[in-house]
Amino acid sequence: MQNEQEFSKAEKFWMNFKLYQFWRFIVLNIKIYTIAVQSKWH
Amino acid sequence: MAKVLVIGAGFAGHTAALYLGDKLGRKHEITVISNRDVFGYVPSWVWVGVGHMKPEQTIFKLKPVYDRMNVKFVHASAKEIHPDADDQYVLGEEVGTGKEIRLNYDYLVVAPGPLLNFSGTPGLGPENGFTHSICSLPHAIKTRDAYLALCDRMKKGEKVKIVIGTGHPGATCQGAAFEYIINVHKDLLKKGLRDKADILWLSNEPALGDFGVNGVQIKRNGIVQKSDDFIKAVFNDHGIRYQVQTGVTKVEQGSIHWQNYEGEEGTTDFDFSMLIPQFKGQPFKYIGRDGSDVSSKIVNPMGFVLVDGKYGLPYPELSQTPEAWPAQYQNPNYQNIFAAGIAFAPPGPISKPFTNKNNLAIAPAPPRTGMVSGVIGRVVAMNIADLITTGKMTHSERMTEMVAACIASMGDSLWDGNAVTIVMRPVVPDRKKYTNEYGRDLFISHLEMGVSGAWMKFMLHYTFIWKFKALLGWKLIPE
Repeated sequence: MQNEQEFSKAEKFWMNFKLYQFWRFIVLNIKIYTIAVQSKWH
Repeated sequence: MAKVLVIGAGFAGHTAALYLGDKLGRKHEITVISNRDVFGYVPSWVWVGVGHMKPEQTIFKLKPVYDRMNVKFVHASAKEIHPDADDQYVLGEEVGTGKEIRLNYDYLVVAPGPLLNFSGTPGLGPENGFTHSICSLPHAIKTRDAYLALCDRMKKGEKVKIVIGTGHPGATCQGAAFEYIINVHKDLLKKGLRDKADILWLSNEPALGDFGVNGVQIKRNGIVQKSDDFIKAVFNDHGIRYQVQTGVTKVEQGSIHWQNYEGEEGTTDFDFSMLIPQFKGQPFKYIGRDGSDVSSKIVNPMGFVLVDGKYGLPYPELSQTPEAWPAQYQNPNYQNIFAAGIAFAPPGPISKPFTNKNNLAIAPAPPRTGMVSGVIGRVVAMNIADLITTGKMTHSERMTEMVAACIASMGDSLWDGNAVTIVMRPVVPDRKKYTNEYGRDLFISHLEMGVSGAWMKFMLHYTFIWKFKALLGWKLIPE
């Protein structure tokens, strides 16, 4: 964030840039799935 | 043959039933008693509440699923629990006929979901009050109708005041209210009505973005970012006003009465309001063999089931004692009774509680919904399967070990929708394992906003309904 209470223009751009967001979609899915599956080992 | 009875078929109860059916259903008797014959996918009710999803897309019939999973389904409301040895049964009332039903058990899972305690705040709620709720499907439908009627007034040029947040000083589930306020904002933008609405976030959180879990903290590029700043940026960006550290004490037609940390009393006017009520345990009767009331051995005064946690620690000590949080969700007095989801009694709050000078405690209760509910349901089911097959429990997961992922919807469009993806490990800070001041794994914990979150939220709706229908590969999908 550009300061504590506002998103910068660059951040807003990346939030809506579909190709980058597709990449984030894949990364977040892998991250969440990996850590959630670890829970099953308890 | 052992008899396992599950009360409730929400995230916790249904998850437990599926694992129990899978593990034991062929050789033992697994029964679910629920006053609803459908499973409701609660996270999507936020979309029902703004008219973006049909109610029937969020539910499915339970019986066909249980028939496949070797689980018996009883469509009835549980009323009494008789827990004494050799005389263990639950009395229920069949929905529709009112006929009394007796179900014997060897193991009992109490997972009925919360009692929505609207009466805890005079004037709160859609039935006998002036506010709305998205905590049940009928409420979400009623909320949608009221919201759409409000939009019609705005289309005629009327300016309105919308208040969304928590309706009790001890309410939980701020996340659902957060999703709803942003979805309302986005919907009004799309309808070209945003300039007609003044939207206020009113909550009992100690700080914005607290969500009843002491906030979320992450490390990005070596800098610690906090959900407080993040959510402030979201609200500032969306033109949403906010007021935290506030406990709602009473609601009247068009007016919300509150007190804040400073002990000041005030009122906020509204034309439309969605406020989450306090959650309590279901008011079952717990009756001993001689007819005496044994509820003090099973539940706390709020009606939540006492389990293997350490109760009574003051907050400063509790926040430094991760092992105070229960691991197996087993009642210490009746060891064949387990609780899952919102039904178990937490040892205390996660966020720092506060009592103002008027002696009003303003403190969010710990959230135990969604992923947390599902994980506890699985742990309980696996332990019951262990006890029946080997006599020894092998599964445990404290909320101080548990990871939780939450996708907070901020508009459902796949093109210009948005969502905040929140990951935290652990849900309850463990200051012994993670020595930073937040007690969290700052590498795993995550906070991110973007269109990808909207895609995730949409995907999760269908993935989880697939899982809860116990369709091919359901066990591969985490809770």
